[in-house]
Amino acid sequence: MIGMTRRAAGDRQQAADQLTGTPVPLVVDGLQVRYGGVRAVHGTSFEVAPGEAVGIIGANGAGKTSTLKAVLGLVGRQATTLRYGDTNLLKTPASAMVRLGIGYVPEGRHVFPGLSVEKNLLLGAYVRKWDATTEQHADEVYELFPVLGEMRGRLAGALSGGQQQMLAMGRALMARPSLIVCDEPSMGLSPILVDDILGALQRLHGTGMSILLVEQNARLCFEAVSRCLVMEHGNVVKTGSVDELRHDPDVRRIYLGI
Amino acid sequence: MQVFLQTFIGGLSLGAIYALVAMGFSIVYRTMGLVNFAHGSVVMVGAYIASTFYLTVALPFAVAMVVAVVVTALVGLIIEGVLRPLETKDVDLMLIGTIGFGIVLNAAVIVIWGATGRAVPTPGFSRPLNLGGIIIRPYDLVVIAVGAVAAVAMWWFLRGTKAGTAMQAVAMDPEAATAVGIRVGRSNAIAFAIGAALAALAGGMAGPVLYVSPALSGVIGIKGFAAAILGGFGNMPGAIVGGLLFGLIDAFSAGWFHGFADVVVYLVFAVIVVVRPEGIFGEQTVSRA
Amino acid sequence: MRRLSFGGLGVAAVVVALVLPYLVNGYLMYVIDIAVIFMLLALGLCLSLGIAGQINLGQVAFFGVGAYASAIFTVKLGWNFWPAAVLAVVVAVLAGLLIGIPALRVQSHYLGIVTLGLALAFTALVGNLSIAGQAEGLLGLPVPPLGGVDLSSHYLYYYLEVVALALFAPFAYFVVFTRFGRRLRAMRDDSLAAASTGVEVPLARMASFALAGFFGGIAGVLYAGLVRYVSPPSFNIDTMFLLLAMVIIGGRFSLTGTLVGVIALTVVREELSDYASVAQFVYGGLIVLMVVFAPTGLAGAPRRIRQLLSRGTTAAAGGTGPFVPAAAGRQTVTADHPALEVEQLSKRFRGLTALDSVSVRVEAGEIHGIVGPNGSGKTTLFNTVSGIYTCNGGRVRLFGSDVTDAKAYRLSHLGVARTFQNLRLFGRLTVRDNILVALDRSRIWWSWRYILWPVGVWRGERELRRRAQDLLVEYGLEAVADSVPGELPYGTQRRVEIARAMAASPRLLLLDEPAAGLNQQETNQLAEIARSVRDQGTTVILIEHNMSLVMSLCDRVTVLANGTVIADDVPEVVANDPEVIRAYLGGSRELDPAITPAAIADEAAEQKAVR
Repeated sequence: MIGMTRRAAGDRQQAADQLTGTPVPLVVDGLQVRYGGVRAVHGTSFEVAPGEAVGIIGANGAGKTSTLKAVLGLVGRQATTLRYGDTNLLKTPASAMVRLGIGYVPEGRHVFPGLSVEKNLLLGAYVRKWDATTEQHADEVYELFPVLGEMRGRLAGALSGGQQQMLAMGRALMARPSLIVCDEPSMGLSPILVDDILGALQRLHGTGMSILLVEQNARLCFEAVSRCLVMEHGNVVKTGSVDELRHDPDVRRIYLGI
Repeated sequence: MQVFLQTFIGGLSLGAIYALVAMGFSIVYRTMGLVNFAHGSVVMVGAYIASTFYLTVALPFAVAMVVAVVVTALVGLIIEGVLRPLETKDVDLMLIGTIGFGIVLNAAVIVIWGATGRAVPTPGFSRPLNLGGIIIRPYDLVVIAVGAVAAVAMWWFLRGTKAGTAMQAVAMDPEAATAVGIRVGRSNAIAFAIGAALAALAGGMAGPVLYVSPALSGVIGIKGFAAAILGGFGNMPGAIVGGLLFGLIDAFSAGWFHGFADVVVYLVFAVIVVVRPEGIFGEQTVSRA
Repeated sequence: MRRLSFGGLGVAAVVVALVLPYLVNGYLMYVIDIAVIFMLLALGLCLSLGIAGQINLGQVAFFGVGAYASAIFTVKLGWNFWPAAVLAVVVAVLAGLLIGIPALRVQSHYLGIVTLGLALAFTALVGNLSIAGQAEGLLGLPVPPLGGVDLSSHYLYYYLEVVALALFAPFAYFVVFTRFGRRLRAMRDDSLAAASTGVEVPLARMASFALAGFFGGIAGVLYAGLVRYVSPPSFNIDTMFLLLAMVIIGGRFSLTGTLVGVIALTVVREELSDYASVAQFVYGGLIVLMVVFAPTGLAGAPRRIRQLLSRGTTAAAGGTGPFVPAAAGRQTVTADHPALEVEQLSKRFRGLTALDSVSVRVEAGEIHGIVGPNGSGKTTLFNTVSGIYTCNGGRVRLFGSDVTDAKAYRLSHLGVARTFQNLRLFGRLTVRDNILVALDRSRIWWSWRYILWPVGVWRGERELRRRAQDLLVEYGLEAVADSVPGELPYGTQRRVEIARAMAASPRLLLLDEPAAGLNQQETNQLAEIARSVRDQGTTVILIEHNMSLVMSLCDRVTVLANGTVIADDVPEVVANDPEVIRAYLGGSRELDPAITPAAIADEAAEQKAVR
């Protein structure tokens, strides 16, 4: 990473550009999630403007992942409003999200372990024809994450955690999303790999893609996004710009308990 | 030597049929994690439909086969559709549901066609070929060829097509598959339909080789199971190898164990399941105790 | 109220049963005779399939073994019917154990295939054995001799069967509703949690198959005495499917439902006796419909109708009472050894190293916290220590004894109890039953009393229930004692799980994210419970993300990150450890200069002053 030439960096930015769709606003109001008898999310409201990078931080069990899954329709939810542009997401099934331009990088990667890196990426473009354009998209992902290019024939299950994370992101990019929803990409990764992921996120943001990022690692979050929500016990307890939250004692209390 | 080769070819032909049954089991198991206990009955339905259209309606054998495949695939879609709500809830219940469907199909066959079976004459040129002193039924060669083509088609489908790759993805991680836009329910339905189509192919081809009767569902069902497990449940090449092995065992052991051949088969595969459930080649998912 | 109507029904049933032969003709009597035999057979299937959760498609083979054994002993060896009957049942039980062996290794589909295959093997076997008469079977079985009573009469044979039913059906109920049956049901609902509460799952599975064999054997013996011939077609796969239909349609979780199912399907088959295949079509279709729309069968209908009728009105499940701590010092704390010593423990999953030479030491009487970011290995540590995973290296010592790789149920009997991140209560058991399962500290060999000394079981049951009531009161769960977990709010369910864990009187309690999903008030109650548990002499280890809870509750805290221990000390020190801060808050090359230990301490001091 450190020894990267400026030219290579420029290639990567170009690749990122090619993989970005045109974003529209994401509006969430009064989102509630229940698992059986438990209310995991008590009515969160937030917006992601086109091209904005928004983060959600908080301790585990705060409801961050539930919020993301609810937006994507992967869990049952209720909301006053849940829109992406003009599309009512409440009426959109989970498998249709990709077509709207919403890409998902799940917590824990969730690559398809028995399929090759290449097949995993192709599946990211499931909603499109598998033609020359799709192959081009794959090439652009390989530009963005060179290590994937080296391992394109390997089974995804054999990749390391960091490589799988890149694969998961690359897979989400194959459909040219305009909004990428990312759940704890840093989980279980060493600091160097976390830097790589951060770089990719920043590059994507640079192309104008909207980003909704959930992170337990507040530092990574602050460096990737411009605005942040803080969740605790299923509620949004605070919002603010990264600068405001960086020194906020409440944030530290939530994480360290003092 | 002559006898050996003749038995061998016969065993391969029977084995091709078992392999088709085993592949049908395996594709459903691989994609849905479900053992379809109605599969044997579906094979039997395929056999009855094919033989009816061949004998009674007097269609050419190949056309009768096509009809059987289409109708049976529909049956597969119905089974999956009815049991779909249970897919994510309770797998044991879904298993029992397939047993229910098996009972329904068995009963329907008896109601429609009666309890006595029927013998299906070998279609086409019934004169056996004589290759260097070895007598071979052309039909056996046709069966082996059809089996081979089906195997290749399955391999190509799973590896080389979008739908097949998506089907594998659904089996590995349904949520991630949904997130990339795959409709899990539809994918499972297609898997079931393919499984049923393979069953119909097996049943239709089995007509001239085995006696078509309601008992066919049990006999071929268990042996198809056993073949699929032997090769590694969910594993396509394994299903083929398992099927061929069982066909050969059947052909050769009929001389040795007489009536006890079946008992030996069942005991052997019970031991396999306990000792090495992954089979020869290993498989996708096994739920151990 | 309920008891009265059941009693009334019971009396009516007994009266009807006794006068039945006077009301029916010879043919119908025979049908009823067969039905009673099927009742016993179906009870065996219900016990293994519905109560113990084992896919048992071999029940018809036990039927066949009982019948054929009885036939062979009487016809080929010339024995008297009664001793032959006893031995035949023994053989059937052995067959049950044999077919149960696969259940030790596989479950669900595989078990279904294997048991089905063995059932088919049975018919193939007897169809070929000369001693079993091969395809014709054995004819001319003797009438069971009974003084002057002519048991070749179907009417009189009926009374013999009623005696058998009156003897063995209550036995089935007795098994199901006392400790052994409860353990089977717990195993069915969640075998992992059952093992953690001390159920020896493999032996319990074998035992359930032995029970199935027992009932199958009795049914087989009665069948041989009734029809006085045995042949392979009577014990074929169609009979198995009929049995399955009876149990599924009647309700596999209910013995009474199963009996109702037998009656219902006997009626259907009789009505459609000219159209046997139509009958088969009907009950096959009923299985499918039941499975999709009414999985609890006919027996579950009353409850579902009640639910449907009361839709709209919120079912008030009864509030939870306050937590009333029991007297302190229920156990003495042995201070010679640490409660738990984990030494260089490693655990790998296919290339991923979840735990890397982790060492932790928890002193007796401590409340010890384990924290760390997501994916750091906390639950893996718990799972390895509590016997759910085996490790790839290292040692685990419990109060000085080496328990590395000990199975979960053995650890339970050594005094380890735990709760689970994703709440693992026994879903079909009431709160009271959940606790009763854990209170039962006996090993499975205790169950000999069921056969030879049932009074002992009864007495033990009373004792268990008394202690359960005390525990329910202590944890404020009296009002919800007869509810099932699914009806209760989440916080209450969590409390039930802790009560269940404590019912085992553990020396060491492992709590996996007990505060997840709880509000502030419930979290405070949780802390109170944890302190009381410790005061009673139990060492507590908890995994938590709620840092304020951990800091205020725990004596010591171990911090895991990426599978290694990065800190292990008292809470205040750990919270200021820069590496810990970095693991949670940071990840960048440099720390924010504003966040230094000193700065945090200053902030904390300020905050305390303000409060």
